[in-house]
Amino acid sequence: MHLFPIVNFMGFDFDLAAIFAILVSCVITFVVARLAVRNLSVDNPSKMQNFMEWVTEFIHSTIASSMPVHKVRPYLALGMTLIMFIFISNLLGLPFLVVTDAHHPIAWLGITQEYLDSHGGSAHIAWWKSPTADLAVTSGLALVVFVLVHFLGLKTNRKHYLKHYLHPYPVFLPVNIIETFAKPLTLSLRLFANIYAGEVLISTILMMGFGGIPFMIAWQGFSIFVGAIQAFLFTVLTMVYISQATVHEEHEEH
Amino acid sequence: MDFTPSNTIITIVAFGLLYLALNKWAFGPLFGIMEKRRQLILDQMNTAESSRKQAEASMAEQKAELEQARKEAYAILEQARTTSTKQADEIVQSAKNEANRLKDDALKDIESEKNKAISALRSEVGGISVKIASKIIEKQVDEKSQEQLVGQYLKEVGSK
Repeated sequence: MHLFPIVNFMGFDFDLAAIFAILVSCVITFVVARLAVRNLSVDNPSKMQNFMEWVTEFIHSTIASSMPVHKVRPYLALGMTLIMFIFISNLLGLPFLVVTDAHHPIAWLGITQEYLDSHGGSAHIAWWKSPTADLAVTSGLALVVFVLVHFLGLKTNRKHYLKHYLHPYPVFLPVNIIETFAKPLTLSLRLFANIYAGEVLISTILMMGFGGIPFMIAWQGFSIFVGAIQAFLFTVLTMVYISQATVHEEHEEH
Repeated sequence: MDFTPSNTIITIVAFGLLYLALNKWAFGPLFGIMEKRRQLILDQMNTAESSRKQAEASMAEQKAELEQARKEAYAILEQARTTSTKQADEIVQSAKNEANRLKDDALKDIESEKNKAISALRSEVGGISVKIASKIIEKQVDEKSQEQLVGQYLKEVGSK
């Protein structure tokens, strides 16, 4: 497998490839969004504006399916940021891979003589990947969602939010706590595993040489699909969790 | 696959910044525009509704006015018809009267002419009688000449 360039700086490890990928994802997301809202017009929208408005409507209806429609507005921007960032991140690893070969130990990248010895004298360093193919990144996103959900739950719906830990009986407290932590865990693992598996398979197909081209085409296509689905799923689940924590429906009373 | 905690922190920071930046420079204006369009469409629908009502009202008004005009025209027509009938009657009546008057006048004229002629004839006959009488008195000679004279004057009278 490829090695990722990990640098130790001031006592912390930094994964250069992931940092680079995150930055690129952010920049692409921002540029796409900015291009879409250039020359905004009320009665004569450009194609990009139309597209962006379609995305907005789509996210709006998606969020509205998990919570009352009048509460959607504050989470719309969050949902759009999530889905765009994750979708672009998922696609980032698909088109190409930047690999450098190192034949000598490079101390600042953490490549030691032992590693070289055990890998036949050379180390493949991958400089490019989907940020979401890194568990640390997806956990970051899940952590954002986790904090947001519980913060919003405490802030807007404190009584019922706290009560739900004892639901339906106080005996269920441990179960509910496990569920609380399982949610972000599954959220991050699901996204990570799907994208990581896709990239692993791409590397595997690459090993087939030219014979793998048809598989590559099929798998790349499928990976786009998976990337879209995972981005959508992440957004929807986030909204469902927020909705569960903040929206108190009357029929839950009995 | 290593788990690099710094990535988590960087992701959180990057995502937070991305969210803020997008919200400020991309989504904020976009939502504003969409809201503005919603408002515009709402306004236009309201305007359309009100102008539709207005059109309906003016339509009804025009219909009423048309009805009114039709009634008036009918009334005028009716009035003209009665007036003309009356006038025709009047004209006929006056013509009849005139004719009657003329006929009466003519009859009166005829009567008076006749009376005049009769009276003229009378006075003539009277004059002639006086003349005959004076001639008879003048002559009174003989029966023969008298007879002759009477015959002569009667003949005169007859010829007149």
